[in-house]
Amino acid sequence: MLVEGQFEIDVPREKLFAELINPAVLAACVPGCESVEMISPTSYRAVIAVGLGVITARFNLTVEVTQQSPPETVLSVTRGEEGGQASMITATNEVHLDDLGGGLTRLRYRSDVSVTGRFGKFALGVMRKKAESMGQDFAKNLRERLSRAATSGQAVEQSVVKPVVPAGWWRALLDFLTRWLRPAT
Amino acid sequence: MATRGGYHRPSTLPEALAILGEGEGIKPISGGASLVAMMNAGIVEPTALVSLEGIDGLAGLSSVDGGIRIGAFTRHRDIAETALLTGTSSVVADAARQIGNAVVRNMGTIGGAVAHADPGLDFPPALVAAGASVEIASPTGSRRVAAGAFFVDWYTTRLAPGELVIAIHLPKPEPGIGLYLKHSRVAGDFAIASVAATLARSGRVRVAIGGCGPTPIASEEADEIMSARRSKEALERAGGILSALADPIDDVRGSAEYRRMLIPRLLTQAMNDLSTRLGQ
Amino acid sequence: MADRFATTLKINGQPQATTAALEDTLLTTLREGLGLTGAKRGCNQGVCGACTVLVDGRPMRSCLSLALGCADKDVVTIEGLSESRVTQALQKTFASTGAFQCGFCTPGMLVAATSLLMRNAAPSDGDVRKALSGQLCRCTGYFKIIEAVLAAAAELRSGRST
Repeated sequence: MLVEGQFEIDVPREKLFAELINPAVLAACVPGCESVEMISPTSYRAVIAVGLGVITARFNLTVEVTQQSPPETVLSVTRGEEGGQASMITATNEVHLDDLGGGLTRLRYRSDVSVTGRFGKFALGVMRKKAESMGQDFAKNLRERLSRAATSGQAVEQSVVKPVVPAGWWRALLDFLTRWLRPAT
Repeated sequence: MATRGGYHRPSTLPEALAILGEGEGIKPISGGASLVAMMNAGIVEPTALVSLEGIDGLAGLSSVDGGIRIGAFTRHRDIAETALLTGTSSVVADAARQIGNAVVRNMGTIGGAVAHADPGLDFPPALVAAGASVEIASPTGSRRVAAGAFFVDWYTTRLAPGELVIAIHLPKPEPGIGLYLKHSRVAGDFAIASVAATLARSGRVRVAIGGCGPTPIASEEADEIMSARRSKEALERAGGILSALADPIDDVRGSAEYRRMLIPRLLTQAMNDLSTRLGQ
Repeated sequence: MADRFATTLKINGQPQATTAALEDTLLTTLREGLGLTGAKRGCNQGVCGACTVLVDGRPMRSCLSLALGCADKDVVTIEGLSESRVTQALQKTFASTGAFQCGFCTPGMLVAATSLLMRNAAPSDGDVRKALSGQLCRCTGYFKIIEAVLAAAAELRSGRST
């Protein structure tokens, strides 16, 4: 299924790029994200807790950046499975940052997601809805976090030194994948 | 306390709630029509089950202070066949008659359906149109939530973990009629879109739309417009309001656009049918 | 390996001791635990009706019933119903009318039809359609099945079937 959307954020494109590749920022903004681990400069592993009605699950995801054109575009591939392969997800993701001028950036995303196993059998139409609402939650969390950091004057933790390293883009892509997921309570 | 496995058949509600409270993997089972289907598909894997069958007071319909109480473990078949749902409350019986097929109606229960909150189910819009409330039990007591507030999101209700739906309460019905108009590909399928509507002799109208969003769609404004008059223009206005509130999914049964298009048409059909049948 | 629990089910009037895991359906237990393969696994979702059996006298989906939940219930399968006059009349007319081809839906059809004729000895065409509306058939197009049920009802009423 295709999951796409966009949002505007008043953070300049290059700065937004740097924030999005910061694991601390994204781990805080991606709903349900429990842990994040860098495997290589272009790949990450993460665990996301998910829930939809009576279903609760944990997904083990790996994201690999396949192509990048900083600070505009990142392409990546996500693979995820639940323990015991109850469900598997693969997604090819695109993220585009457009400079709107005046320190405003538009983030556009598009993910082609395929789900097999138990999540593939249940409410796929609803999953897209969840994915869209998670995109909105992610945007909201990102704005709140970045504006909080700005007003408090604190430097946001950096775990990746070079802002041009695109590896962290997977975080945003992780979000697209997990959009329909709600944090398990 | 160690989590126990197996299938439990408590005879009292406090017992049931106590077992449920022992762990997240322990789930309640009512009729099983939805839960066992999900277990068969590998979608849920409970570690233990607590059956609500046989618990005192959980099954059956009764008159209470002029209103009607439907126990959570009442089968769809019994609701379809009851003589107790008269006047405007008959919308609930009409919805029950159109759930699945006769065999599934022997198995499914209203409590199970309501707690599962699949957006395609027939009871939720009927309960909203009938002004019903849902009674919820927890280890600390019980409370009632209006049906319109009980359904919160996709497959999500006001139930907290470990809580149970124990009854549906309908207020004293008004003289009049109710109707559940279900548009589906074939008989027995889930609705693509549905209209639950009541028309009282006083002229008061209540409508809820099913299958077109995470929860049933209702609008006081639309109800007021239709209660004042049921002209073609009034129905179109009301249909437009409800359609704008819809948030339908695209799925194999129909696109979101199709569902939105259906709402005013089904509404008009339902209201005209009600007017004809009531003779006013 | 899932835990298995001992239970005794009443099948066709006989107590049957067996074991079942929590997630084992009545259908699984009938077919694999007890060798009663008349009920079929068509969809395992309650839609097709090929698994239909009688539980406490009413047609139910054995694929949606958990074995452990049936401990104190009266389960009657097509094997048990084959001893009843009503089902035998139906079996005869199903055969003479040509109301089955692959036969996969037939046990479920017979259970549902038996249940109908036990409640209503003179069903109309509409009554038969309604009673069988939960049973799917991919081969016959249903006309022969309805014909067979009506014919069996007539035979039973006339007292001709033995």
